[in-house]
Amino acid sequence: MKRRTFILSAAVGPFAPAILASVATAQSPEAGSGGAAAPGQEVNMMLLPKFLGIAVFDQANQGAQEAHAELENPGKLDFVGPTAENSVAGQIEFVTNAPAGGYNVVMLSNNSGDQIAPAAIAADEAGTKVVTWDSPIPGAEGESLFVAQVDFDETGTVMAEMARSILGEDGGKFAILSATPDAANQNAWIASMEEALATDEYANLELLEVVYGDDQSEKSYEQALALVDKHPDMELIMAPTTVGIVAAAKALQDEGLCDSIKVSGLGLPDEMSSYLENGCSPEFALWSFVDLGYLTYHASYALATGAIEGVEGDTFEAGRLGTYTIEADPTRPDTGALRIVMGPFSVYNADNPGV
Amino acid sequence: MTDRLLRHIRPEQFRELILLVVTIGALLFFWTQIPNYFDPRSINRLTVGLAIPLVVAIGQMMVVLTRNIDLSVSSTVGLTAYVVGTFLTRNEVSPWVAAVMAMLLGCALGAINGLLVAYGGVPAIITTLGTLAIYRVVLVEISGAKTVTTGDLPGWIGSLPSKTLVTVRDYDLRLMVAIALIVTIAGYLVLRFLPFGRRLYAIGSNPDAARMAGLPARRDVFCAFVICGGLAGLAGFMYLVRFGNITVTAAQGLELQVVAAVVVGGASILGGQGTIFGVLLGVMLIEILQQSLLRWSGLSEFVKDAILGLLILIAITVDAVVLGRLREAWVNTRRRDRAAARLVMEGGADGAD
Amino acid sequence: MGRIDARRYLRRWESLLVLFLLVVLAYNITQVSNFLTAQNQANLFQLSIEKAIVALIMTFVIISGEIDLSVASMMALSAAVVARLNESRMEHVLAIVVALAVGLGLGALNGFFVANVGINSLAVTLAGYIGYRGLAQVFIEDNSVGGFPGWFTRLGQKGIIGPITFSIILFFIMAAVAGVILHYSGFGRRVYTVGSNARVAIFSGVPVARTRIIIFATSGLVSAIAGILYAARLGAVRSSTAQGFELDIITIVLLGGVSIFGGVGSMVGVLLSIFLVLNLRNGMTIAGITGNTQTGVIGLLLILSVLIPNLVSRAQGRFRRTPVEPQFQAPRPETVQSAG
Repeated sequence: MKRRTFILSAAVGPFAPAILASVATAQSPEAGSGGAAAPGQEVNMMLLPKFLGIAVFDQANQGAQEAHAELENPGKLDFVGPTAENSVAGQIEFVTNAPAGGYNVVMLSNNSGDQIAPAAIAADEAGTKVVTWDSPIPGAEGESLFVAQVDFDETGTVMAEMARSILGEDGGKFAILSATPDAANQNAWIASMEEALATDEYANLELLEVVYGDDQSEKSYEQALALVDKHPDMELIMAPTTVGIVAAAKALQDEGLCDSIKVSGLGLPDEMSSYLENGCSPEFALWSFVDLGYLTYHASYALATGAIEGVEGDTFEAGRLGTYTIEADPTRPDTGALRIVMGPFSVYNADNPGV
Repeated sequence: MTDRLLRHIRPEQFRELILLVVTIGALLFFWTQIPNYFDPRSINRLTVGLAIPLVVAIGQMMVVLTRNIDLSVSSTVGLTAYVVGTFLTRNEVSPWVAAVMAMLLGCALGAINGLLVAYGGVPAIITTLGTLAIYRVVLVEISGAKTVTTGDLPGWIGSLPSKTLVTVRDYDLRLMVAIALIVTIAGYLVLRFLPFGRRLYAIGSNPDAARMAGLPARRDVFCAFVICGGLAGLAGFMYLVRFGNITVTAAQGLELQVVAAVVVGGASILGGQGTIFGVLLGVMLIEILQQSLLRWSGLSEFVKDAILGLLILIAITVDAVVLGRLREAWVNTRRRDRAAARLVMEGGADGAD
Repeated sequence: MGRIDARRYLRRWESLLVLFLLVVLAYNITQVSNFLTAQNQANLFQLSIEKAIVALIMTFVIISGEIDLSVASMMALSAAVVARLNESRMEHVLAIVVALAVGLGLGALNGFFVANVGINSLAVTLAGYIGYRGLAQVFIEDNSVGGFPGWFTRLGQKGIIGPITFSIILFFIMAAVAGVILHYSGFGRRVYTVGSNARVAIFSGVPVARTRIIIFATSGLVSAIAGILYAARLGAVRSSTAQGFELDIITIVLLGGVSIFGGVGSMVGVLLSIFLVLNLRNGMTIAGITGNTQTGVIGLLLILSVLIPNLVSRAQGRFRRTPVEPQFQAPRPETVQSAG
């Protein structure tokens, strides 16, 4: 026991007391109970978004900073990220170097698919937990926990539901404007939407095509206009990305096409309010990224301080958001993936503009 | 026939002719492939898409003429778009003031490049590879990773992109396109008629000779960078107007598109060669390829880039091969003319032949 | 600029790089805990090892007065080929051989267009930059393709000697070979001759076209090797693999004192530059500095490394009251005339 503690503390440096606590938890007969983590413990955190410069990631940082202050963590919370064009290699670099940088937890919105798995495994072995949020590691390797904004299967249904409410009961044709082909969350949502479309309920909705705007305004804008030209009978563009949805809405507004073609998907109420008003985008959905950052921080803190062990059935207090339970991730079966679901969706429309 | 033609037209003009033929060929090809290709709507979109790269390319070409290159233009576009955008969310000014602000900021960024290259002796590719990264960092740092969104911008921004000056049978001349055309014509006039423009060619063809001949080479190179920066700043303003939502990644990758357009347009990367008309054609060809491939239904999303690369390669190869032959023929024609002239003179003495 | 001048110039440049390197090392050792651990030192190399490998061949390309913008796209293409063939159950070693052949072949194609057709290498490889990544997209579309054999991913991820991986060992071997070829072989001399003055090279009987084709073909091959190693390290391949690496690689080479106009540069300088950039990035990443800022700092260093010597020599010149041109005014490449 003594020897084991020594090794662990050597691996994680300043963080030995917390590990002791975690070992103590592991010995208690009621493994997997958890509870509230005591504030004031030192945990060094890295918040690593897909890349810098997207409003929603900045909001997640606000939430994390809020939790950081609330839990009186004397350690550091660094919001760092790669450049957009270097996202994959950059994320791998940050995760690989995290143990050497003294970080106890990396909170990662994965943009690298399974390519980041070797780095995450190595970090985990070196004593740095990897908690994903927003977008998980598909194979779950090296990942302790995934904080899901919503149930990914539900996302598909919500998007299909919005599509039907915009297109009407008769249905119609639509296209999807996604972010990058690498984004695990986008791909999972599109897959779950395709699944929903296969059911009888949404049988009269036809998906024409999936295109990628790479989370860049200009590329998404051009892609939206290209979709319009390519599919004269298209009535809706569904963009499950906050960058894509505003770019598409602006493109249709600039070309005066909002009467015949609508935009929906996942969007920030702040950015979408003018398009909601002028009818370009009558309905869209999102969750609070501030809350997502806040919850991710709480989960990571509880995990790192040993308040929870990170196994199925653990419950913990996440400050103002209440109690959450860790569960097996049904959207990634056979990987042993664990998740917390924040939920629910907020659907924004004329009745609920959100601003 | 060829001989007579070659006596009147220089090979560089042939290059533009070829490019024109290739561009028209591309348009005709896509017309057969894409329904409603020449619809007013499609054409309007194509012309609006041209506007921003064209403005940047005109500035780039002035720099390339002097045997330099400016890779930092994309970061200049992004930075000015963001700074002016942020300014507009807090202050109410007229579009003109905003545009001038953007140009001044662009000029300042270009002046930094120009100082380093012309007076610091740092090669242009090193300078601008450096400032490409540095201007982007400035953008990331001042933005604090926040986004400028359309909703926060003054109302006139929303109506400007679709503002149309003239409409002929639904074919619009949009304000954005008009700005780009004015810049193009101004660029043509400067290079054709101003001593400064002529000097740019001289400096690019032979910098040492130019300096020895007493041309203010350094000042001119500096000015070329300032102009390039200023036009990139103007493009930044247009970018803000068109896309409205400015993130820190704005315009990333534009530099290579513009360099590709300038090179395809026949401007020599080794300086001293190139025309505004060629650049216009280069920008058009690349934009047509890109926009049309996006709209070509017969094509999977995933083969587009491969085809775009291949088409660019074909375009520059045809250009190089044909041009090489033509220049040879041109030189031969000239030589034969001279020989003939000599023969006539000598023959006149002989009175025979 | 004569040969002696070039040599003196390079020596001064290398001293400057050593100075920068010492400053960065001193900072990292004193300020970054865990910096000197074997694992971190291995990470430091491992995280950029593919770029370092390609930088070796890019040195040849740039010294010969050309540029290759297609290297990163070639990395993606070779990785995609390996992944795709592996997926269709081809023997893995064979898949690697095919990918290497693709790299060599397309590299030679670049060389053919530059050397025989006479198109500027910037234009040719710009087409390759778009097209080769496009081909990678054709092969694996928007999928993440992995499922490599165990030995392959172990080769990319696990250390052979302690934490030192196969890629790191390979890099040092290739660096030694490249150094010897560049500085002590007839081919190396030809590379310099072609780069400093192609027309003179032709007149003095140097096979300019063949030299160029060999350089570009090797560039394709080495990029393919780097791409395959990258695939092994990441365990999965996407079409966006290695995106944007080309500018990083070119930056490293130019920072190493290699003249963009050709004919000037040394392997020692490039190696120093590689060590400098890797240490700088490692220190900054551990200190929690974001990716953009890292690139910016390296960009600034790139400019300063040319500007400082220029300003110093100009100040000295003024002191001596003799007009001195900036130290670094490389001769104009003569390729355009020879290429027609």
